[in-house]
Amino acid sequence: MGILMDDSTRVIVQGITGRIGSIQTRWMLAYGTKVVGGVTPGKEGSVVEGVPVFDSVEGAVKETGANASVFFVPAAFVLDAFLETVDAGIKLIVVVPEHIPIHDVMKMRVYAIERGVFALGPTTPGILVPGKGKMGIMPASLFAPGRVGIISRSGTLSYEFAGILSESRVGQSTVVGMGADHVVLTNLVDILRLFEEDDGTDAVIIVGEVGGEQEEKAARFIQEKMTKPVAAYIAGRYSPQGKQMGHAGAIVRGSAGTVGGKQEALREAGVEVLASPIHVARFAQKHNLK
Amino acid sequence: MRLHEFEAANIFEAIGIPVPRRGVAGTVEEALLVAGEIGYPVMLKSQVLVGGRGLAGGIKAASNQEELEEIAEALLGSEIKGSTVRNLLVTEKANISKELYVGITVDGYSGRPVIVASTDGGVSIEETARTAPEKIASLQVDPFFGFYPYQARTLLRKLGLGQSLLIAWADVIGRLYHIFSQYETLIVEINPLVVLPNGGLLAVDAVLEVDNSALSRIRHPLPDWVERIENPLERKGREIGITYVDLDGDIGLISSGAGLGMASMDIIGEKMRPANFLETGGGITEELLYRCMELVMMKTDLRAIFINIYGGINPIHEGAKGVARYIREHSVKIPIVAKALGNHQEETWDIFRSVGVHVVTEAATEKAVERLFELVGGEK
Repeated sequence: MGILMDDSTRVIVQGITGRIGSIQTRWMLAYGTKVVGGVTPGKEGSVVEGVPVFDSVEGAVKETGANASVFFVPAAFVLDAFLETVDAGIKLIVVVPEHIPIHDVMKMRVYAIERGVFALGPTTPGILVPGKGKMGIMPASLFAPGRVGIISRSGTLSYEFAGILSESRVGQSTVVGMGADHVVLTNLVDILRLFEEDDGTDAVIIVGEVGGEQEEKAARFIQEKMTKPVAAYIAGRYSPQGKQMGHAGAIVRGSAGTVGGKQEALREAGVEVLASPIHVARFAQKHNLK
Repeated sequence: MRLHEFEAANIFEAIGIPVPRRGVAGTVEEALLVAGEIGYPVMLKSQVLVGGRGLAGGIKAASNQEELEEIAEALLGSEIKGSTVRNLLVTEKANISKELYVGITVDGYSGRPVIVASTDGGVSIEETARTAPEKIASLQVDPFFGFYPYQARTLLRKLGLGQSLLIAWADVIGRLYHIFSQYETLIVEINPLVVLPNGGLLAVDAVLEVDNSALSRIRHPLPDWVERIENPLERKGREIGITYVDLDGDIGLISSGAGLGMASMDIIGEKMRPANFLETGGGITEELLYRCMELVMMKTDLRAIFINIYGGINPIHEGAKGVARYIREHSVKIPIVAKALGNHQEETWDIFRSVGVHVVTEAATEKAVERLFELVGGEK
């Protein structure tokens, strides 16, 4: 089990002919992902890593029966490619690139939500279902199959948490990077809901960071709706206020979105707040997670 | 990129928002000249990119030449919340009968532009939001549908305004929204928007922050983002395409990803003090990590360097080669601890070990920081 994808998900890679798109296609295939096609306008007829390339998403869907897409498209072209992908009927889209203008992301988000499309990113490492497949750039060696769900705002911290759990012989049902930007295509609550409903997930780890309101809103949802144990870590305790730390989402603006405020909201909702990443191993042991 | 008030005011004026008569002064003499043209009394406003500069003493009124000389002398070159005042904006002093607030920003959670207006503008606007929420009205805009003037009128009606103020204010909001989309701003704000005794409006302050990811496609002249970064190390970081934040500790940090970087700082900060925050973003290459080493080592009195990277987009042994080349060429003597996991990790560890880097192969950053602490101990 797991959420969002499995080994029957038929994935296309947009921007497959680029340097990153082609190497990531190789790694996704090596992990067992069913990559059925690629899209780069103007490159139809070429083949990358044994995968046929199409001019349009519509063409790729028609020929391959694809139902999911992962993006390695240059930031400036992502909005256009995203709208095309939604129009072609794809219902799961992973937007890996960083530095996409926020005014574009706002449009993408509305377009996807109104058409029932589940999209992740921007600035996400994607989704990985251990042993089944992955859409995105997560380095496979850190993950192991199991029953813990991970949702992370930061890409590299999702690897860190999966790695610590795997070393303690605790596997993951699905690892989801929700994207690190100020506006993301799907909010934390909507991913939590999927984990709550998933038979293959026994507990959820939230890896958050300073800034924004995602964790505060999630706390309310957890209190009202979640039955599974949840642990959370919030990065950025020593980040200087008001200085930009790489992502718009991590900008500290005033008192809203502070590490302390998030921790308190989560603790009140019954979440186990982890002072440091390594404590996730103890949480797993306490709840006898596998 | 945040613009200075004088830059934002020029944009406001060009789009038809009423702004005070004004001029920029870098010296006392220039300030005297501008004030002479405008006529006393004038306001002297420090041009620094920090919030709350008024409360920090960066905005003063001068009613004559002597006062102006004294105030300008004191403000120019002074520091406000860590930023040096290089310019003053000298403006006419408005007759205020009422102070309003209006701002447009990106609401991160709904992912939509939100217009916020209040009849209780001024320095205590955030307090008003907490204590008298009925004095604040806000409206989300559909980013596809866009903004239409009736939306501003609908918003302002909630504040129970008289007709003439409502129409004039709605006009300002329409122009402000135009700036919001044309300049792809994260925030554009007027606080206060002053109501003059004759009923006219005047934008007495101007806040504008442009989305850095959109800089290359905005079709209006803008200042150079990199040039205006005051800290030379932070500027160099931006030049090589990474995020660097200068701090005052003595442990150099190189990390891939903002979250991992912040977590590393949190863990190091328990017993030691980071000298910087540095995150490479995705796509680590040999050249990039060589330059990161160069940048981190520019800081004097470092006791150690802590490298915490994952290889997702690119194989990380490429990055390790850059670090190794730097260490060899500059015979680096301080200890370096590296945790590097992901694609091609074994090759990466070999490369690091060949130049004496202490490699930690476990996933937990805490283990690597423990190693660092064993090597260098707490603070000097």
